Amino acid sequence: MTPAGLGLAMIAALSFITGQICFKFAVNESDESARRTGGFLPIFAGGIAAMTVGFFTWLTLLSKFELSYVFPFEALSRVLLVAGAVLFLKEKMTPKLWIGVVLITGGIIVVSVT
Amino acid sequence: MIETVDRSARAEDARRRGSTAFLLSPWVQIVVSILLSAAAQIFLRLGVGHRQDEAWAAFHGLFSGWVWAGIIAQIVSLLSWLQALRTIKLLIAFNLSGILHVLVPLAGWLCLGEKIPPMRWLGIILVLAGVFVVASPAARVEEML
Repeated sequence: MTPAGLGLAMIAALSFITGQICFKFAVNESDESARRTGGFLPIFAGGIAAMTVGFFTWLTLLSKFELSYVFPFEALSRVLLVAGAVLFLKEKMTPKLWIGVVLITGGIIVVSVT
Repeated sequence: MIETVDRSARAEDARRRGSTAFLLSPWVQIVVSILLSAAAQIFLRLGVGHRQDEAWAAFHGLFSGWVWAGIIAQIVSLLSWLQALRTIKLLIAFNLSGILHVLVPLAGWLCLGEKIPPMRWLGIILVLAGVFVVASPAARVEEML
């Protein structure tokens, strides 16, 4: 994959993860540290906007590269989600979660390159 | 007589509330969300058919019932996902959704007759193992919230 492709994959992954974190902030009612801020609608709209950017970047990526070449996107988004959830949502990584993340990410890479 | 009717109505009401609570529980909602998302991908695939190379394939697709079924499934999936995220950690929910990479190839294999090469089976087993590891503390619910 070219540097441009990696850049697009990075933008797509960042957008999707931003969307997911916005969604969590918008509806969250469990964790004290990630308590809902600023009301549901603006954050939810932000999430939808981020998802839309991610979707069109993803389409561009798909039109330029073969599906099996876009696997860095999956790996990137899984790593970014862990970072985002820990940094912004203050969620805790447990050893079990680490094992799960490694197995799932590895498995998805194998599935997408075969 | 009125007392009995009242009591049975109240019991019926409680049962209805109970089943609603069950349906809206985050664990049911996350399973619904993941299943609908997998179904959406299969529906869209059926709608687009094998005309992917044609420039107008996506446009033609708009007239296909399968495509609309896919879009609706995806929207309802998002609503279930939001309901689940009210209480489930994003880390847990997102990793559980990794099972889509198992469900979609399996559904493609079973419903659309797509082939799964041996290496892909290995990947599917890895993802399944990972999802089991993430889901295993489900017995201790507080760890998941």
